[in-house]
Amino acid sequence: MNKVLFFAHLRDEAGVESAEIEAAGKTVAQLKEIVAETYKLGKLDSAMAAINEEFAPNEEVIQEGDVIAFIPPVSGG
Amino acid sequence: MSTRYSRQTLFPPIGKEGQEKISSKHVLIIGAGALGSGNAEVMTRAGVGKLTIIDRDYVEASNLQRQQLYTEQDVADKLPKAAAAEKRLRTINSDVEIVALIGDATPEKLAELAEGVDLILDSTDNFETRMAINDIAQKYKIPWIYGACVASFGMSFTVIPGVTPCLNCLLKTVPIQGLTCDTGGIIGPAVQMAIAHQTAEALKILVEDWEAVRASFVSFDLWRNQYTSMKMGRAKDPGCLSCGEHPEYPYLSAENMTKTTVLCGRDTVQIRPPHSEGVDLSDMAARLKALGYEVKGNPYLLSAEMDENRFVLFQDGRALIHGTKDLAQAKSIYNRLLG
Repeated sequence: MNKVLFFAHLRDEAGVESAEIEAAGKTVAQLKEIVAETYKLGKLDSAMAAINEEFAPNEEVIQEGDVIAFIPPVSGG
Repeated sequence: MSTRYSRQTLFPPIGKEGQEKISSKHVLIIGAGALGSGNAEVMTRAGVGKLTIIDRDYVEASNLQRQQLYTEQDVADKLPKAAAAEKRLRTINSDVEIVALIGDATPEKLAELAEGVDLILDSTDNFETRMAINDIAQKYKIPWIYGACVASFGMSFTVIPGVTPCLNCLLKTVPIQGLTCDTGGIIGPAVQMAIAHQTAEALKILVEDWEAVRASFVSFDLWRNQYTSMKMGRAKDPGCLSCGEHPEYPYLSAENMTKTTVLCGRDTVQIRPPHSEGVDLSDMAARLKALGYEVKGNPYLLSAEMDENRFVLFQDGRALIHGTKDLAQAKSIYNRLLG
């Protein structure tokens, strides 16, 4: 099982702070698709992903027990 | 005023030697909105040698809640932000050479401004300009500090050419998100927290305390009490076109820039972003309605109107801004709504 954390406006859009998802063996890109579909998140493509608090590219394969965080880049200033 | 910087020089990592370094450095600030005002004030009070700040906008009443350099009088005078910032900064510290420029921070302009600059502080409201800053910083080997905020959250990351990953390594493309200070709102503390992260890094870089520079990407939400630090050790992409082995600085080339065109006789400016991922029109319609816009639409476009503001947004991210022939103003409206 994997814990998925939503940050910033993704948390508002998903309606939850975190979720438990079976993601071991999947890539970050695949998990983004699943999560976008499940939680109806329009703009997950451009979100950055961290696995266990370390930046993870889209190709990175998720391991059992990894904690994945999605952090959307913010543009305001 | 010999005691002017005493509390800063008493801080051991800065000291007298650090203060001398700070006063010999030139900082470039892109944008004079919320982050730009705060970053400029901290740098001016800290006593940088020279500060250059550029902005294309003018002061409005809705800025005063968080843009700390501006006053009601600046709103009444409709002063350009750069001019109002310059006026205030000069009264704060007359030792600092302040150069304020009213205009758009295009890649050409950035290249011209980069000459002799020791540090760039990002204070813009859009990723297109940030990607151009990122390329300029790599090309001229200038450290720069990304900072951004919206609603109750914000983030910052320090880019040091040749050392850290760059913004293009992280994002790969210019994200369009539809959540900006004009659509999602913003509270003052989120601005201040982003400024605190940016200016602390700035001081470390100005005194050349490279060991102290934060290597992680920090993001926070002050309302939900979240604070996260993402390690960036594996983020550097050797094939990155901005900082990799064969850089091409893609965001300095014309094809990656937003095209703005005045549509003849229509008092309208067309804005076409490059390589847009597309816009979620129903999401955008809901946000605009919440702001008081009257919104109509179909699956291909939405049209929004409020007072004298009227624009049409297409699914591919293209927009027609009605009621203006001013390219910079139209681009400013677009970025405020779409980021």
